[in-house]
Amino acid sequence: MVEHKVKARTLSKVLNATCAINNGFDPIDHELIESFKAGSSEAIERLVERYENRLFSFGLRMCGHQQDAEDIAQETFLSAFRHLDRFRQETPLKNWLFKIAARACFRRRRKKKGEPDRKISIESLKQDDGDYVIPDLSEKPDESVIRNELKAIIDGAVRELPPKYRMVFNLRDIEGFSTEETAGIAGISEQLVKTRLHRARLFLRKKISAAYKEGAIGR
Amino acid sequence: MSECGRHFERISEYLDGELDQETLIEIERHLSECRRCENCVESLRRTIALCRGMGREDVPAEARKRIKEKVLQCLAEESD
Repeated sequence: MVEHKVKARTLSKVLNATCAINNGFDPIDHELIESFKAGSSEAIERLVERYENRLFSFGLRMCGHQQDAEDIAQETFLSAFRHLDRFRQETPLKNWLFKIAARACFRRRRKKKGEPDRKISIESLKQDDGDYVIPDLSEKPDESVIRNELKAIIDGAVRELPPKYRMVFNLRDIEGFSTEETAGIAGISEQLVKTRLHRARLFLRKKISAAYKEGAIGR
Repeated sequence: MSECGRHFERISEYLDGELDQETLIEIERHLSECRRCENCVESLRRTIALCRGMGREDVPAEARKRIKEKVLQCLAEESD
């Protein structure tokens, strides 16, 4: 009987852990958060090290300047640590950090007031001849020159995306968040995530294809 | 709206595996018959793969140091 109870408890623990992992629960984050709550400054350093690259890179792609990216990473960490003792871990820490970072990006944009948030019309993205020139780099993994040229084209095209499309593209296609998670982070509906992502991808395809046709890549 | 136009709006959902079964079957049937839409899907698939494959920028070492120092310093000042 006792043996059955122990087995049931063990099974329950395994199931809970599996559910938690499926919900994006990260045991290392969980441990670090608990250490932080217990007063560990080493936990602060380790959490910064875990997320600084992703937050900096996100800030850079959103704002286009290294100083802005650095400020966004700092603001995000400071805001997170100020409220971490009340963070209930119902969403993964990563999602919560990106939500704070996304708000920081929009605040920065409002301060600068320079970037219009226009709409991308689907009509402007249809190409009647259907003739797109998009390389398949999986066939040429060692072409570092082409890769660098292509990266410059893609980075430039991403910067041309209006901010609300850039946000969704970065969260979905670069950071790998699901549609549902992106909607939660950006504070918009899942349908809007899908619409903006599709238009952003079509916009980037148009730019990459145009660069190839003009000979800007692989000359 | 033409069949091509209708499907054009949903290519990303198709590539992301987010369509319901009925729409998925409808789009796959159309793709098997329409070369232009098939090219459109393939070029978008490659676009996504290229963008995802470009990787992230690393934080420069100096900025990495400044971020950590600033965070630790501000938190220490606030707790004093």
